[in-house]
Amino acid sequence: MRKLSTALLAGLVFTASAGAALAADKTEISVARFFGACEADYGTVTDVTKANGECGIITALINKFNADSKTTVVKPEIVEWPGYDQLTARIRSGEPPVISVMHEAVISDYSSRGLLEPLDEDFAKAGIDVNDMTGAARQGVTKDGKIYAMPFDTHTWLWHINMNLFKQAGLVDAAGKPILPKSTDELMKQAEQFKEKTGKPYFISTLANETAFYTRTFDTLLYQQNADFFADPNKVNFSSPEAKNAAQLLADIFSKDLTTKNQDYAASVSSFAAGEGGVFICGTWLIDTYDQEAKKDGPLANGYAVTAFPQIYPGSPRVWADGHSWVLLKQNLSEAQRASAIEFMKFLWDNNYEWSRTGHLPVRKSIIDSDAFKNLPHRGDIASLAVNGTALPSAVKRQFSIQEIEGEEVGSAMRGDKPIDQALTDAETRVNELLANAK
Amino acid sequence: MTDVTLSPGKAVAAVKRPTGASIGPRWSNALFVAPYLVFYLVLLVYPLFKGIWMSMLQSDMFDDTSKFAGLANYHRLFNDKIFIGTVWNTFLFVLMTVPVFVAIGLLLALALNRGDRTAAALRAIFFGTSVLSVTIVTIIWKMMYMPGNGAIASIFKVLGLQPVAFITSSSLALVAIAICTIWWIIGLPMMLFLAALQQIPGELYEAAALDNASRWRSFWSITMPSIRRTMLVVVIYEIVAQFQLFGQAQLLTQGGPNNASRPIVQFIYEQGFRSWNLGYAAAASEILFLIMAVAALAQFFVSRKRVEE
Repeated sequence: MRKLSTALLAGLVFTASAGAALAADKTEISVARFFGACEADYGTVTDVTKANGECGIITALINKFNADSKTTVVKPEIVEWPGYDQLTARIRSGEPPVISVMHEAVISDYSSRGLLEPLDEDFAKAGIDVNDMTGAARQGVTKDGKIYAMPFDTHTWLWHINMNLFKQAGLVDAAGKPILPKSTDELMKQAEQFKEKTGKPYFISTLANETAFYTRTFDTLLYQQNADFFADPNKVNFSSPEAKNAAQLLADIFSKDLTTKNQDYAASVSSFAAGEGGVFICGTWLIDTYDQEAKKDGPLANGYAVTAFPQIYPGSPRVWADGHSWVLLKQNLSEAQRASAIEFMKFLWDNNYEWSRTGHLPVRKSIIDSDAFKNLPHRGDIASLAVNGTALPSAVKRQFSIQEIEGEEVGSAMRGDKPIDQALTDAETRVNELLANAK
Repeated sequence: MTDVTLSPGKAVAAVKRPTGASIGPRWSNALFVAPYLVFYLVLLVYPLFKGIWMSMLQSDMFDDTSKFAGLANYHRLFNDKIFIGTVWNTFLFVLMTVPVFVAIGLLLALALNRGDRTAAALRAIFFGTSVLSVTIVTIIWKMMYMPGNGAIASIFKVLGLQPVAFITSSSLALVAIAICTIWWIIGLPMMLFLAALQQIPGELYEAAALDNASRWRSFWSITMPSIRRTMLVVVIYEIVAQFQLFGQAQLLTQGGPNNASRPIVQFIYEQGFRSWNLGYAAAASEILFLIMAVAALAQFFVSRKRVEE
């Protein structure tokens, strides 16, 4: 018995030592990301094709990388969206992650201060063909002539539609497509008709506790009127009739109860799935989630459609857009760590199709042109977004802070907390003061 | 026999100094306070002066080349409508919460100043919320305030009333944060008052009872004078603490809507960590420091005067 115990103990020690030795052979790199935490559902999934949604797919991608890589272990660090306060604090305290996810609108704030590593040479060595990047993606990650990030997607603003409620409201044509407004008048009429027939608001909107809805919708409405509100990258112009039109339209939607009110992001996402309204204005990233929802019993069953933001002003079909990317933070990395970081980026580049299943647009021309991508659900309905997605000019500094201010003030105008003129003036003053003091 | 007369000078010279205790400063004693003094200087005094210096710089979070700007940051602050709004919000919040902390804290302490098990259990329950983190507290209150399916909305619906949008209404957002804060940390003032109440000698109340003093009279003439110093502590502590409102506002309302619930500390945080404008954030911090110091000192002097009277 004693011999058996000794043998078992020795075996245990040997196994543990061997495991530790194998792990020690691999280089560990930290990767900070948002997209949520879903370890309970996808913690052990390495078959990426079985994962759905942003969180599921990125979790499965990292699991697969860790399972396949002979040299690298990625340690994911999940942060609350958007995570830049935390990243800033970590950089300032000298302990940044090796890689971090970053919106393309934010890259120049960090790259201009020398906080990011340029990646052109690494990409060339790793065989990442930058000529395969879409125009939007390449422009998004290129600052001062250098590539500072591995683009991951282009995401835009669009309409998720509950077709079951649209049918009930008489807003479906003979071909089974949703009848969408072509002008602001049509929008208000159809929204009133929807409310009358279904007893529910036409729109579901994320109006509480975040400003993204206001900024992205307002920018889209300005683009649709051909308003060049950042003609000078150091000064915004919200004193235009176009800005007033857009703010007035949002205020009318709110005051006439054509949208849900007081819902935060989580509430509005589940509210659409629960059939509490007809149109959810949100981003590409929910397409896969709602497509899965439509396959189940429930208010969205066989009744989900998605469309590019309808053009309701006679200007252009342009729409707000941004992109997720992966940056390498400047710090004293060893050769092995840097090689591991590039290995992980190459893996994400190679698997960009899997990420595009979320609903985001891929960053590789070869994937956009592939049958596999074209055959994904609803991609034909949103193909125009690849061309019409528009980011702020890259010369505009502090874009996230600007979007926060713009969203706060447009939100005040929409909810009637401030007169529209006052809100637009305040937005312009605050943004211009921020830019005047920005380095 | 010889008369011996001693001159006063000689008599003095003959008296020996006592041995043992030395007269005059012994600098080695300073070693006892040195550890505290070092931390105090490094962690409090140095940052205080560094903050004042930073408030006079045009300084970016990641830029090592700060530029001296004199009082420009202060000038900009006094013309910044958002900052002025945060000062107003913070004052309103302190006015909403501190009197309630004193009143409810004292009432709870009076009600639970008993030795039975129920009182002990209730004391633990009321103090229990104080140990929760701000994240947990705001999650709980978000679920309470949600206009669609929140607990308060459900009660309103049962009563046939329209649910109130607490955290998305510019007139109610700060009130909502105040209610959440009071629920969260009412336990501490209650405990401080309880400790003070238990220090009052029972004989005073017995004497008052013999004189047929009413309960109100006993409270006013015995309890209140006896706990005045504790009340001063509670008021000053809560003034200082509530001026530093941040987590609840950041997590419940993010300062909105329309800047209606943004406190000064959130403004400082946003300027420092989001806009990376350290000089501007430092200037706002100095103003907050001044406001807190003035408010606490004013309260201290007024209350001390009353105590002395």
